Amino acid sequence: MSTLLAATLSTLVFCAPGYPGGADDAKPLLDQFASAAAASSGWPTGSLAVLYDPTEAGGLAKLHGADATLAFVPYPFFVEHAAEFHLKPLVQADMTNIGPQQRWTLVAKSGRITGPESMVGYTLLSVAGYAPNFVRHSALQGWALPPQVKIEATGQVLSALRRAAAGEPVAVLLDQTQAAALPSLPFAGELKAVTQSPPLPVAIIAVVDSRLAVGSARTLQSGLLKMGQKGGGADSLGPLGLHGFVLPQLPAPATVP
Amino acid sequence: MIKVICCGLLSLSVAACASRPPSVPPAAADACLSHAPGEAACLYGRALALGLEARTHPTRATALLNSMLDDLAGAESADALYDEAGPARVRALVLLRAPGWPLGPGDAEAGLSAARRAAALRPLYPPNLLALAEALAKNGDTAGAHENYARARAAVLALPAEANRDEWLREAEVGMQGK
Repeated sequence: MSTLLAATLSTLVFCAPGYPGGADDAKPLLDQFASAAAASSGWPTGSLAVLYDPTEAGGLAKLHGADATLAFVPYPFFVEHAAEFHLKPLVQADMTNIGPQQRWTLVAKSGRITGPESMVGYTLLSVAGYAPNFVRHSALQGWALPPQVKIEATGQVLSALRRAAAGEPVAVLLDQTQAAALPSLPFAGELKAVTQSPPLPVAIIAVVDSRLAVGSARTLQSGLLKMGQKGGGADSLGPLGLHGFVLPQLPAPATVP
Repeated sequence: MIKVICCGLLSLSVAACASRPPSVPPAAADACLSHAPGEAACLYGRALALGLEARTHPTRATALLNSMLDDLAGAESADALYDEAGPARVRALVLLRAPGWPLGPGDAEAGLSAARRAAALRPLYPPNLLALAEALAKNGDTAGAHENYARARAAVLALPAEANRDEWLREAEVGMQGK
């Protein structure tokens, strides 16, 4: 039955705004992942296709396409667009060297920011800056960011940190990998971690707008959860920086002030 | 997240950055350096070979690119004018196109600095102007990027027909359209 349900082509839209990598480079790795995921789920060969887009706009356009069945997106993207696309989480990525969750850290020039109110006039830069709802209500849910603070997306985090260290009114929201690497920068002593998020999912695979039959979604979920195990397609995960998948553990929605 | 994923998705058209793509594998470049330590041609050749290797071995790309940048720095110190200011030009393109901190050596500001050096040394060589235009665009200077794509186009049109002319012209014209 599940095989019959999945016999039609399903398309997974993979979108990672702010992170490097072009579609041509991603394609062979993602095709390999799609084949392994389909095999692990008992889906017919070739029944799962993958589209990659490194930009938010491009990813949104692909998700609006009628063939978009699934989304593989960073958690900030999920928070920002889950309602629009009726995204229903299937699994949560378990990342190599990170795990299934990560903390985000707000960094600024040492001594400049003493509390949320002292950020008036500041610009907050982050790879997740395209997702202001995530920034305000997930990453900084315990930090009442003043409404005047501008939130901007940047893929050039090093430049943003240099600006902050130089004393510009800039704060930088770092993901866990970036925060861990911060002490290696020669100007790290000029910067200070101001606040940190609770653990949040790193990335989610979700069904788009109920476009995948329940039975197919269930078999795919089981297949993805098996992928981290030997013989479950683990070989296709390593090149993507993935260790495997776990069941979604989404935080309760933060209260929007 | 996917930054880790995309660490392996580096695309560097290293051969297109250089007027003289490497004709020797890295081992031969090492042999070249053993005979002529510090020679710009050997360091430059090995740097380009490392860049190509990074492209075919994405999981080792970061280490290979760091080695490539070391060789380019050495080549620039030995002979900054080699290959029409190639060491600074290629350095710029690596810094502009590689994944940025903390995943890789990409650094748009340092890339702009290197591109400015190349263009200052050989201001009429189209790839130097194309690299400068790309660097300015990456650093948010749209007007400066357009100006340098236009300068690159004029420089290409002033050249006699040669193998790379059409490719440079196309890159300049695409850049002028802001694509």
